[in-house]
Amino acid sequence: MNCPLYIRSVPTQGELKFHYTVHTSLDVVEEKISGVGKALADQRELYLGLLYPTEDYKVYGYVTNSKVKFVIVVDSSNTSLRDNEIRSMFRKLHNSFTDVMCNPFYNPGDPIQSKAFDSIVSTMMVQAC
Amino acid sequence: MSVPDYMQCAEDHQTALVVVQPMGIVPEDQFFRIYKRIASVSQVSIRDSQRVLFIRYRHHYPPENNEWGDFQTHRKVVGLISVTSCTTTKEWPQTSDRFQGQKEVFGSTLYDSRLLVFGLQGEVAEQQRTDVAFYPSYDDCPDVEKRVEDFVESIFIVLESKRLDRATDKSGDKIQLLCAPFEKKDFVGLDTDSRHYKKRCQGRMRKHVGDLCLQAGMLQDALVHYHMAVELLRSVNDFLWLGAALEGLCSASVIFHYPGGTAWKSGARKPGVSSAADAGKRHRPGALTTNGISADTSTEIGRAKNCLSQEDIIEKYKEAISYYGKYKSAGVIELEACIKAVRVLAIQKRAREASECLQNVVYINLGQLSEEEKIQRYSVLSELYELIGFHRKSAFFKRVAAMQCVAPTIPEPGWKACYKLLLETLPGYSLSLDPKDFSKGTHRGWAAVQLRLLHELVYASRRMGNPGLSVRHLSFLLKKEVTQSLENYTSKCPGGMEVISLPDGLKLPPVSFTKLPIVRSVSLLNLPVSLRPHKVKGLLGQGMSSASPFIYSPITMHSRGDERSKKIDFQWVQGDVCEVQLMVYNPMPFELRVENMGLLTSGVDFESLPAALSLPAESGLYPVTLVGVPRTAGNITINGYHTSVFGVSSDCLLEGLVGVKSSGCMVEVVPSLPRLQLCTSLPRSAHLSSEDLSTSVSLRLFNGEMQQLTITLENIGTETLNTLELTSKNLSTKEKLFGEFLTWDLQDALSHLPLKSGQSVSIPVNISAKLDFSGQENLLHDLNDDGISVTGLPVSSPLRQVLKPRAENKPVGSDASKNEFNHVKMLEAVLTFKYSGGAGQVEGYSRELSLGVRVDVEPSVFFTRVSTLPATSTRQCHLLLDVFNSTEHELTLSAKNNQDLVLHASECQRYTHTHTQTPPSLKAISQSQRTSLLLRNELFVEGVLNQLILEHLQLAPLQWDVVVNGKPCDCDVIADCRVGDAVPLEVKLTNRSKSAVGPFSLTVVPFQDYQNGVQNYDLQDAVSFIGSNTFYISTVKPTENSVCVGALLFLYTGDFYLNIKFQDDSTARDLPPAWFCLPSVHVKAQEPVEL
Repeated sequence: MNCPLYIRSVPTQGELKFHYTVHTSLDVVEEKISGVGKALADQRELYLGLLYPTEDYKVYGYVTNSKVKFVIVVDSSNTSLRDNEIRSMFRKLHNSFTDVMCNPFYNPGDPIQSKAFDSIVSTMMVQAC
Repeated sequence: MSVPDYMQCAEDHQTALVVVQPMGIVPEDQFFRIYKRIASVSQVSIRDSQRVLFIRYRHHYPPENNEWGDFQTHRKVVGLISVTSCTTTKEWPQTSDRFQGQKEVFGSTLYDSRLLVFGLQGEVAEQQRTDVAFYPSYDDCPDVEKRVEDFVESIFIVLESKRLDRATDKSGDKIQLLCAPFEKKDFVGLDTDSRHYKKRCQGRMRKHVGDLCLQAGMLQDALVHYHMAVELLRSVNDFLWLGAALEGLCSASVIFHYPGGTAWKSGARKPGVSSAADAGKRHRPGALTTNGISADTSTEIGRAKNCLSQEDIIEKYKEAISYYGKYKSAGVIELEACIKAVRVLAIQKRAREASECLQNVVYINLGQLSEEEKIQRYSVLSELYELIGFHRKSAFFKRVAAMQCVAPTIPEPGWKACYKLLLETLPGYSLSLDPKDFSKGTHRGWAAVQLRLLHELVYASRRMGNPGLSVRHLSFLLKKEVTQSLENYTSKCPGGMEVISLPDGLKLPPVSFTKLPIVRSVSLLNLPVSLRPHKVKGLLGQGMSSASPFIYSPITMHSRGDERSKKIDFQWVQGDVCEVQLMVYNPMPFELRVENMGLLTSGVDFESLPAALSLPAESGLYPVTLVGVPRTAGNITINGYHTSVFGVSSDCLLEGLVGVKSSGCMVEVVPSLPRLQLCTSLPRSAHLSSEDLSTSVSLRLFNGEMQQLTITLENIGTETLNTLELTSKNLSTKEKLFGEFLTWDLQDALSHLPLKSGQSVSIPVNISAKLDFSGQENLLHDLNDDGISVTGLPVSSPLRQVLKPRAENKPVGSDASKNEFNHVKMLEAVLTFKYSGGAGQVEGYSRELSLGVRVDVEPSVFFTRVSTLPATSTRQCHLLLDVFNSTEHELTLSAKNNQDLVLHASECQRYTHTHTQTPPSLKAISQSQRTSLLLRNELFVEGVLNQLILEHLQLAPLQWDVVVNGKPCDCDVIADCRVGDAVPLEVKLTNRSKSAVGPFSLTVVPFQDYQNGVQNYDLQDAVSFIGSNTFYISTVKPTENSVCVGALLFLYTGDFYLNIKFQDDSTARDLPPAWFCLPSVHVKAQEPVEL
């Protein structure tokens, strides 16, 4: 379906720009999934790595086995965030997302409004900045 | 070189560039017609060889690009075809000069040129020239293609000679250094004799020869030359040319690997470049032919070695691009190389690498680009992304291109182009402008981005000067999200329901606001009860369903069809207002004004009466009733509704709506019927609970009161009323009702029929309330018991049997029992007027108007006790009625021929009535102070006397008559007689019972009553009997009588009583003793009259 379940950005101004960034990055994500799918459908690495670098930002991707996509966009100048950090962020995000999905009142496909998820994202953002 | 050719692809390396230009004034359409014909000659097989020359035509080519011709020969303009108009021979020399001038622009590189002159009639003054062709007109030039082919062949000859020339002179002479335009000044003053320099020259020349070989159709040779060039140039670090050599190598390999070409669509390429269709048909040297064997077997050998593999092509392209990247001035070359590489990657389906490549393209700085070039660049990027399947990225760049069209720096923003480009981005954002797609399923795509895009569309269409489009898009936007600016536009241009067609063929379907407001359920309402048509029963076969021949079948007929097509089992009437109820709600956070909301129907002429409503923000479910009048009879189907929200009219069809509950949308409309309006002389009241009534009245009456109700019926319909019937039905009441509750006379009203529209008729209806308020069982028992206490002289009264001893201290008339009597009883009845007329009557329909009448009956006076008291006569007794006035008013009670009795409020008095043959009817006259009651203040009260009392009141069936001295005696009658005279005594028994009675014996015993309790029976000397004092009566048959006659002789004066004693012989019989109640005879014996 590829409609956003959850979007968060700091600072909030210029958010639309990130919408575009994330939206276009889906092309790469899909390409990567379909490329890997041929080789090893089952034991796929969920972390897709750097999707593409732009002048100011780095875009990382992560796809769960149920094809839910996580995209993290970070400032290119932020050198403290390396591959490992990004990887752990994705893992945290995935865990929290799993919790959201476990909520019986959550309909898959609805925008995520969980406070717990929100707070996880917030803490990650604080760490990153 | 500053103008990149975004359409470049690898095959272009093997083409020779020919510029076709108009000269002087040539009509544009004519020029392009000729241009197309020229361009159709894109490949020419060369005679006597298997080679093919490919030609790339351009109608515009910047001369500065031509300067790069040495660097890559396919950039060199080798041919020029000029097209010109020339009507007179006088103009010819001038034209010829201009052609010369034009040739000089590309003069350094041109191999050959042609001039096509159109319009020159008659003789051409000058002698025949090979490079000039004359045609009388643009339409009459059959051999243009032929000429172009000749021209191409001449180019080939030059090309081939140049190739051979360059390929052979490799040794000995000093090799000329080929330069890219920007390099020229770098080499000034360089040592031309160094090995390094020589090698550079050699390498560059090799590369150049490779280019020429490729153009001349010698792919294999080209590969060899390119390989050599790469080696030479690598050793001298001549990166720019190394890049060019590598690219040449790649191009040649691509041409070899992909004979179908890498350009993805012919339409996007400039006309004149060989189209994809005929590209497939091309016979390429070195490429495999259909039989798998190359035509030139000699080339097979070196192929595997020289030709790059598919992976290598990409590697080499990357390398080449990286070398180009070292030179700022070679930006265009780098850019084009990237694009070519992307095309190759796209064919290889390596989208990710292609995207990386494209990403690189974005960063190539070409210096100051004009806005148009920017737009072109973004468009091309978008197309390339589309090519590799990155639709989102493609949409993104298309949008950027669109924004570029209207960038603030542009003096004349191209809103139309912007709008067109924006429309093209829609699929990339998974956005469809057709609301049908939108309403399907859940939301798709990236809402925030879509929203933004729609906003841009709206803005662009507005700036385009097409507010209609703008409204349409805004409507769509509104349907998706929330905005209010629509209203401002609609005031200028109302939004309609017609499909807007754009000039480029795209159709914008109308946007219906099915979500503003959201309709949850649609239900057709039946007419109000009084207006419902009723089918007259009894018409044969009308009521029977013809679907099944069986009267009953356990198999129910399931309607397979759509729920909405189900017919509803009530009817509407032509000409009457019909209603449809919608449950709507406003999902918006603002107040929603819906105007002109009406119904969409089919089947019957229907006049929809639009409604306007205002829904508060985020309202809950809100019922809206839409009304309309069917103008003809038949079946009507409610298809949907139309609204006008924010000035945008929408037609919402029910079938397109999701989640709408409906109980069926088809209903039958019957022909028109008259309509009656009912009004009564009494005020209306709340409806009765039990039934559907059009009107109802209620009134309060005292028991026994009567009131007249005048009902006025007015024909307010358009049809004439022909029939009228009136029936009444008492609703379930357990009360015993005396007489008719409702009575009326319809004759007068019927004489007024037929009733035309507007006329009225009135019917008087009498309402009388006669109820039994004394109906409690225990009360009657009490009365019965009480009868004993009031029984006075047992001697003189008919004998009554004591059934049970009377309970003492019975609290009669206490407060408790008084309340019990005080409750109000209710009477309900329905008056039904059945009427028909007009066209509906012909069809057998009628209407019913019902009037509910509810009467609260208050107890007025009632009898708390009834008892009998024997009167002095055996023929009479006293009926004692305890009359209780339960009203709050003073009453005067009057009965037949009796004194009036005044009863105060809540007073109980005993009323004595001398018994008559029938139960009495009491007439109570209230002397009410209540004004409302003053209108009718006569009450008729009837009480029920129970069987026991009635038995007492009836005369015994054996009637005894005693006649003394010819005078019938009863209790109060004193018979006079003279002492010494014989007094005849006659006892007559009349049997009124149904069976024979007897035998009896009667004994007459005289006695004297001293009025002090002493009765003297010892009268043998005072009274003597003549004859026997004992009578015998044998059997008396019914209706017969028997008479016993005797005589008495009174010897002294005085008052004597005769006690007639009765003896019943038959012990078996047990006749009630009351039947033998014989009167006592009082005889007054007087002195004989002295004569």
